[in-house]
Amino acid sequence: MKVPRRSARQKNLQKDAEKEEAINLLEQKENTEEAVERSKDEEAVEEENFVESPVVSDDDDDEDFSDDGSLGESGSEDSHLSGEEDVFLSSDGEDSFDAKSDDVSGNGASGSGRDDTEHGKDDDAESDDSRTVVEESDSSEDEVDPRNTVGDVPLKWYKEEEHIGYDLAGKKIKKKERQDKLDSFLASVDDSKNWRKIYDEYNDEEVELTKEEVKVIKRLLKGKAPHADFDPYAPYVDWFSWDDSKHPLSSAPEPKRRFIPSKWESKKVVQYVRAIRKGLIKFDEKPKEEPSAYLLWGDDSSAIDRQGLAYIPAPKPKLPGHEESYNPSLEYIPTQEEINSYQLMFEEDRPKFIPKRFTSLRNVPAYEKAVNENFGRCLDLYLCPRARKKRINIDPESLKPKLPSRKDLRPYPTSCYLEYKGHKGPVVSISTESTGQWIASGSSDGTVRIWEVETGRCIRIWDLGESVSHVSWNPLPERPILAACIGEDVYLLNTGLGNAEEQKSLDELLRVETPSTPDDSDNDKIAVNWVQDDKNGGIRLKHFKTVSSVEWHRKGDYFSTLMPSAQSKAVLIHMLSKKQTQRIPFKLHGLPVSTAFHPSRSAFFISTKKNIRVYDLLKQKLIKKLETGVREVSSIAVHPGGDNLIVGSKDGKLCWFDMDLSSQPYRVLNCHPKDINRVAFHRSYPLFASSSDDCTAYVFHGMVYSDLNQNPLIVPLEILRGHASENGRGVMDCKFHPRQPWLFTAGADSVIKLYCH
Amino acid sequence: MPKHYRPAGKKKEGNAARYITRSQAVKYLQVSLSLFRKLCILKGIFPREPKKKVKGNHHTYYHTKDILFLKHEPLLEKFREMRAYEKKIKKAVSKKNRDLAERLLTRKPSYTLDMLIRERYPKFIDALRDLDDCLSMVHLFAALPAVEREKIPVNRVHNCRRLGHEWQAYIARTHKLRKTFISVKGIYYQAEIDGQKITWLTPHALQQVLPDDVDYNIMLTFLEFYETLQAFVNFKLYHSINVKYPPILDPRLEALAADLYALSRYFDNRASTAESSTTSFSETDVSKDQGEGPNYDESELRLAQLQQQIPSNEPGALMHLVQNATETDEDDSETRECKTLFKDVKFFLSREVPRESLLFVIPAFGGSVSWDGEGAPFKETDQNITHQIVDRPTQGHKFLSREYVQPQWIYDCVNARILLPVEEYIVGRIPPPHLSPFVDNEAEGYVPEYAETIKRLQAAARNEVLPMPGVGKEDLDDPQNLLVEGVLDRAEAIEAATKKRKMSVLQKQYHDELKKELRSTQISTASDGNKESVPEHVDAGEDSLPDLSQISKDADSMSKIVMPRKKQKLLKAMEIGKERKQASVDRLKERKRKIEEGKKSGK
Repeated sequence: MKVPRRSARQKNLQKDAEKEEAINLLEQKENTEEAVERSKDEEAVEEENFVESPVVSDDDDDEDFSDDGSLGESGSEDSHLSGEEDVFLSSDGEDSFDAKSDDVSGNGASGSGRDDTEHGKDDDAESDDSRTVVEESDSSEDEVDPRNTVGDVPLKWYKEEEHIGYDLAGKKIKKKERQDKLDSFLASVDDSKNWRKIYDEYNDEEVELTKEEVKVIKRLLKGKAPHADFDPYAPYVDWFSWDDSKHPLSSAPEPKRRFIPSKWESKKVVQYVRAIRKGLIKFDEKPKEEPSAYLLWGDDSSAIDRQGLAYIPAPKPKLPGHEESYNPSLEYIPTQEEINSYQLMFEEDRPKFIPKRFTSLRNVPAYEKAVNENFGRCLDLYLCPRARKKRINIDPESLKPKLPSRKDLRPYPTSCYLEYKGHKGPVVSISTESTGQWIASGSSDGTVRIWEVETGRCIRIWDLGESVSHVSWNPLPERPILAACIGEDVYLLNTGLGNAEEQKSLDELLRVETPSTPDDSDNDKIAVNWVQDDKNGGIRLKHFKTVSSVEWHRKGDYFSTLMPSAQSKAVLIHMLSKKQTQRIPFKLHGLPVSTAFHPSRSAFFISTKKNIRVYDLLKQKLIKKLETGVREVSSIAVHPGGDNLIVGSKDGKLCWFDMDLSSQPYRVLNCHPKDINRVAFHRSYPLFASSSDDCTAYVFHGMVYSDLNQNPLIVPLEILRGHASENGRGVMDCKFHPRQPWLFTAGADSVIKLYCH
Repeated sequence: MPKHYRPAGKKKEGNAARYITRSQAVKYLQVSLSLFRKLCILKGIFPREPKKKVKGNHHTYYHTKDILFLKHEPLLEKFREMRAYEKKIKKAVSKKNRDLAERLLTRKPSYTLDMLIRERYPKFIDALRDLDDCLSMVHLFAALPAVEREKIPVNRVHNCRRLGHEWQAYIARTHKLRKTFISVKGIYYQAEIDGQKITWLTPHALQQVLPDDVDYNIMLTFLEFYETLQAFVNFKLYHSINVKYPPILDPRLEALAADLYALSRYFDNRASTAESSTTSFSETDVSKDQGEGPNYDESELRLAQLQQQIPSNEPGALMHLVQNATETDEDDSETRECKTLFKDVKFFLSREVPRESLLFVIPAFGGSVSWDGEGAPFKETDQNITHQIVDRPTQGHKFLSREYVQPQWIYDCVNARILLPVEEYIVGRIPPPHLSPFVDNEAEGYVPEYAETIKRLQAAARNEVLPMPGVGKEDLDDPQNLLVEGVLDRAEAIEAATKKRKMSVLQKQYHDELKKELRSTQISTASDGNKESVPEHVDAGEDSLPDLSQISKDADSMSKIVMPRKKQKLLKAMEIGKERKQASVDRLKERKRKIEEGKKSGK
């Protein structure tokens, strides 16, 4: 009944506080006589009540069933219990324990009659009341409350820390300074009381045991009770008062009703008997067999539709083909080699079923995977997620877009009409004269040639020694000047094709008075020399890096040259009339690949490998940036209208930009399997072309409408073949005739072809 | 705050609310996983594929509504009740209260699945649509041994057997069987009921292997549902032809394991009673007179007495005729065709042929059949037998009046819907290849040789005006019948001929057009050249007439250029599929060529 209730904290501290407790116990010793007596009396009364109450109740409830009596009894017991608990709830758990042990010790003292002389004065001091003793013991324990409050945690957590825990105020308790081992040893040798010193890890302090504590420990070691005055064999105290009873329980005789049959039971039996007689209760009756099947689907017209979610029927198993026959045609049976080759396949790819042939039905064995396959089907049915999938059953032809008939888009170049032969190396670049009478071509054999378009006759050859990378005619018909890039030089060649008057002005134009010394202040240190070249009849512009292309402005006075490796000076703009050169005032983002002048406005296109930037030359600022999204741009061409742009890339993609629309390509045509070398627009017809290393040139119809709401119409028209591949290069350049829908292509096989409609 | 923070009280939406994983569902329903499985199987609930898998990829997702549906299933409550009852019994047993335990055992609660079937298949046609798996499973279990270890009870196996036979009897009776195919896996049958094609597989009648890596509990759960479904379907089907279900069979025949035959006799009896009750008694009398043959037996008498006291018993030819006469008008042409395939053929099965299958197939196509053994309708010595099915290397004693053919002949005839010449199938020969009737050879791209032979034979049979060889004297006795048939055939022949003529005309037209087209393209290209390139000094570096294939290829690639990328990919996938198909066809052709080469060199 007296169960000491200990708080968690106290439990935790119990080990360390044991000795203090012991001290307390010893100090408190036996309680004062009155206290003991009083508590004894109380308990005795309670015990008496507890034992006697059932007897009393039993007597009271003689007529009732015995069960009810027991209920009442338990109730009374409960009340006693609660009453007793109240007593102990008032004091702390530790105290109750103390009180008990005090009681016991008191008993022991009274039993043995022994007296502890050492605690005689304490005895006198605390002899007023047991209650006060209890309270005081409580407070006395508080005084020696452990400093540390970390609780029951492994102390190694604090091993690395500088503190051992926290005091009640929550402040850190600093670790004490560790003594040197030698010092501590010497100190221990000196100290005669060293053997009773114990290190308390929890509070980080050394404790010296008192004599009493040592005694307690010694007793414990011997296996005895810690206190000398505890008597384990105290005489039994019989709490029951045997005043006038022989037995602890009632000795009243058994009531009669316990020996006669129950009236209610017999009534119930009669009821059952009647029910059985009437057939209401049946024994050995099997549950009625219901017919297992009946007409479940009587009239389907009245049937309600399936409830719940839409039903997805499981797909039916695949029907067997010829190869599953027991006697298939011979061609369905794989040869031995094929069967062996199955072993080399991945297990998933291996055919599940290998056809086999039996010459007659009686030879067919049982199929050993029958159950497995059926089980697999079961698993599919209840484990496989089902989803409705749209199965497109369309004609592949219908996927192809409806394009306007090519007949309606005529004229466009379809077949090879003329070949211009004479170059001894790959023809790298061609250019058409603005009247359409001549074309110029530059080849890697170092020559620049001029051909008559109609006849295919080569009328002039310049041998410039080095490989020609680009040629370009001046767009003005009265200035038949040809610009050609050879290595680090750009030649402006007088073709001598104009009439005498024009020729005269040309001679004037192509004269450099003084071998121009580069004027640092003007030209921003551009090391381009304008040199008279009498041998070839023209001007030679000496650059400092390899020039890859030269483009004329539409007015025929300005031209730009491109030196991809010259970094900030990669793009230069030259003025023919003043023989001046200047750098473009824009920062170049990346390696420039290609440049172009706007056909009508003062805009300038510079293409780097990924992007194309459009600058306004007058205002000197960026107008637009176009993102091609291709790997590497190889060439660009501007629509004569000026708002559209095509870009050929080295991954064979052709991008059409509508600059009014977006900075992204309006359409990407993935037409060539190899690099696109050059793209070109026709000046008047809605045509454009691309030439590629796969030895083909594509001709497209590219109609741009003046109505801004209508997108450009792009229709592939023709694939022009005919060039042969040389060193992996195919068609190097393509240019449209300025007036006719004809296309010139320059091949790596040193031939120039003219495709006509 | 995390990116996808959702306030505490806010409800889930979208896929997170619509789908739950299996473990969530199990927890929600408070059932064990095995019970959940069972419920799912019985209720026909399957996982779904959500567009966004909220809990991750490696989960099985169920629709929340499905799970709610399960939650309100009375069966769930029933299962709980049964579990509690099991505990009661266990308790009684462990307390050694044997009386109570026995009494409890006799009153075990049980459940029925009829409402589930009603729920899953509100209409009969729905049930028919899903019957394939059901039939295959029932037939498989009918062939399995009852194994204690795997808890396959004997009565379940017998029930499956019974259900299978009932189904087959119905199909045979109503001539709804369309296709058969002997494969290595077993025999496939395809029947057509109410326009639904139902295909099922019966294993070969041999000892089946019971593998260990199979969860028989799951299969038995499926079977439980399928058995119930099959019973109800059978009931409905029997009801539709006015036959009582479940049929009461002749125990003697049943004991002889000739259930199917017993069933067919049951049908005949029933039919005759129906006849008698509806039309007249004279017919039944006739049938009775006819039927009272040597097979008359006490047991049959008893059976007949069970069936409304009509003592008719023999499924003789007359009975069939009577039936046919009344039913023809309601059948479609295909059924009529199937019904008359083996009309005048009488079969006898040797011991070694698969009897059950043939007893099913032959009557389904209108033939009469007997076998070697007790209870057979006629003996081997019967003079009217036209074909004997044997499957042995040599046949000792031969009747001259009949053909000895291998069983494959029947199946091939059934698939071809004509009586094939028997020479190829005679005893001791290796029969020609057995082809699957489920393959569309034209779509597949490869037509096996024998398929072409059969096609030719079919065409020949269709054009034939004369009745089949081996058509009995009965037809000759009835000149009117013959005339009608002849007229019909003639009309058909005329029709076919006109059709053929039309076809040929069309074909010719098509060819002409093709040629014209080719020519025109050539002309146009040529004319283009002529018109524009007036100066004649063309440096003809390339062919003057470019390759037609090149042109078409160019056109193809050009149209591909302008296609959106999505469509391009789709087209590519299609092309890959086509290529794969073509590759398999090519492989077959290659093998065929090699085989033929080998044959030639061998000769």
